[in-house]
Amino acid sequence: MSTKATYGLLATFSKTPEFFTATGKVRDAGFKKWDTFTPFPVHGLDDQMGVGRSKVPIFTLCGGLFGFCLGMLITFYMNGFDYPLIVGGKPYWSPVFPFPVMYELTILNAAFGTLGGMFIMNLLPRHNHPLFEYEDFIKSGDDTFFIVIEKADPQFDLDKTKAFLTEIGAEEVHVVEA
Amino acid sequence: MSANASTATTGVASSGGKKDFSTIALIVGVIGIIATLIGLVMDLSHGYGRVGQSWLIGFGFWMAMLIGMLFLTQITYLFDAGWATIIRRQWENAFAAFPFMALLIIPVVALPFFVGDNSSGAIWKWMDPTYMLPGIHGHTVEHDALYIAKAPYLNTPFFIARLIAYFLVFCGLGALLRKHSIANDTAADPKHYIACRKISAIGIFLTAFATTFMAFDLFMSLSYHWFSTMFGVWFFAASMRAGLAGTVLLCNFAAVKGWLQGFYNKNHNYFLGCLCLAFTVFWAYISFSQYFLIYNANIPEETFWFNIRELNIDGTKSTWWWVSMGLIFGHFLIPFLILLFYKTKVVRARLMGICTWILLFTLLDMYWNILPKQKSADNILGYDVQQFIPNIWDLAAIVGFGGIVIWATLRSAAKNSPIPLHDPRIKESLNAHQ
Repeated sequence: MSTKATYGLLATFSKTPEFFTATGKVRDAGFKKWDTFTPFPVHGLDDQMGVGRSKVPIFTLCGGLFGFCLGMLITFYMNGFDYPLIVGGKPYWSPVFPFPVMYELTILNAAFGTLGGMFIMNLLPRHNHPLFEYEDFIKSGDDTFFIVIEKADPQFDLDKTKAFLTEIGAEEVHVVEA
Repeated sequence: MSANASTATTGVASSGGKKDFSTIALIVGVIGIIATLIGLVMDLSHGYGRVGQSWLIGFGFWMAMLIGMLFLTQITYLFDAGWATIIRRQWENAFAAFPFMALLIIPVVALPFFVGDNSSGAIWKWMDPTYMLPGIHGHTVEHDALYIAKAPYLNTPFFIARLIAYFLVFCGLGALLRKHSIANDTAADPKHYIACRKISAIGIFLTAFATTFMAFDLFMSLSYHWFSTMFGVWFFAASMRAGLAGTVLLCNFAAVKGWLQGFYNKNHNYFLGCLCLAFTVFWAYISFSQYFLIYNANIPEETFWFNIRELNIDGTKSTWWWVSMGLIFGHFLIPFLILLFYKTKVVRARLMGICTWILLFTLLDMYWNILPKQKSADNILGYDVQQFIPNIWDLAAIVGFGGIVIWATLRSAAKNSPIPLHDPRIKESLNAHQ
């Protein structure tokens, strides 16, 4: 076993409104490396935490554009360049007849882009998470809300942050070591 | 929200400003319709059908919007959608326009038989057995093998019977859904909601059939040699796009200036914006598929329809080619790319802008499908094609039908509660969330 270091502070809440208000206060305090864990989806929590829109759509767009160009290139190379054949009086290559190829590849690669983008933006895959060291972490899937402020946050100070979390209404504050 | 809850119970009282606007809409609508009627009579007395096509463009555009709303209402009932409840009342208001649309299809069908000496085939050439078909073969409709084969379906009495059936479906469903929803405002009872779901379950099939066959009859049969099973789906796609765009404009005007202040928020815009994006793709898919299948099969019976929308007699590109390009880029690519952005769907001005854009191009789409017509001419083909030249009668018809539809909608909005107060899903709709 390696020596354990402090990962961060975990504050628990048992009521949604208190948790929701506290989340806004953490945001306003200017913390950057922190997260929340809830047993069910809480509407508006993204705005309350101050996180912006997901960046995954950018990956989707890039994947889609790549797929479209790939489809165009494949059909152009095969039908217009490598082995030109006249089929049904159509030109060797036009954007019309191979459109289904481009269209399908757009969708396929957009889907790959989305999947890949989701993995990249969520820093997946990962096999373990330091928070699992907290023995009651499973409660975040049952009846308890967590706010976790990481030690990596520039504003983090064990005592001050602990006092801050208690002040904004945390019921318990635990030091998570991993 | 609470400040506006009081206005909900007094919908009539809160409608101060919009009665004036609905009167203006009525006056403009009546003037537009009368102007088009005069044009129609003048045109038909010379045996021309151009203003008849203006009439069909105006009718097709506004009817598409209303049919889209009828579909949306039934779809949201069938899926038990909570978010759409407050928007559904605006659709129900628009259904008040169906009977007027039924009334306004009569002149364009009836007048060719009564005005002019030989104009019964001026709009739909198959209506006149003695109509000389354009082309080098030189025969009339009654000797046309394609007409003879289609005559059991494509004859005037059956055409009129079908039109009556379509409007019975549209007016009937519109009235039934309205009746139940409005009755629920005063005497709240879940039975109304359940009845509406049952009506929608049957109605969605009836609406789909009526829409498809109305598109075949009114628009596809303008060029009756041509046939495409996709055509009905094209009109459905156009309907959904026009219906959604019209809904966005109506709801946002009502949210800024009228009866939806405080109820309608950016989440509703987001949902409608997502549907706008979906049906932008759907429209492109349908329109392209129709072109693609005919292009690949390469059968002259079908390809001529696209040829007259692309080429002049000397092989150069005609005006319709530019309209076609306008549709590909303006009606699909630009709205598609713009609607991909999240901000477009939640920022009111942007969504209203793109919806106005979509409506303008829906109109262009109507032109593209209705106006190109082969006319006898002294050249190697024996015909030339009516080009894309909008005229004052088009404008009169579009504005005229628009005035009537807007008047009917606003009149209904002034009479009824702005939202379905006691709908089982009203809270869900008011608190709709992404």
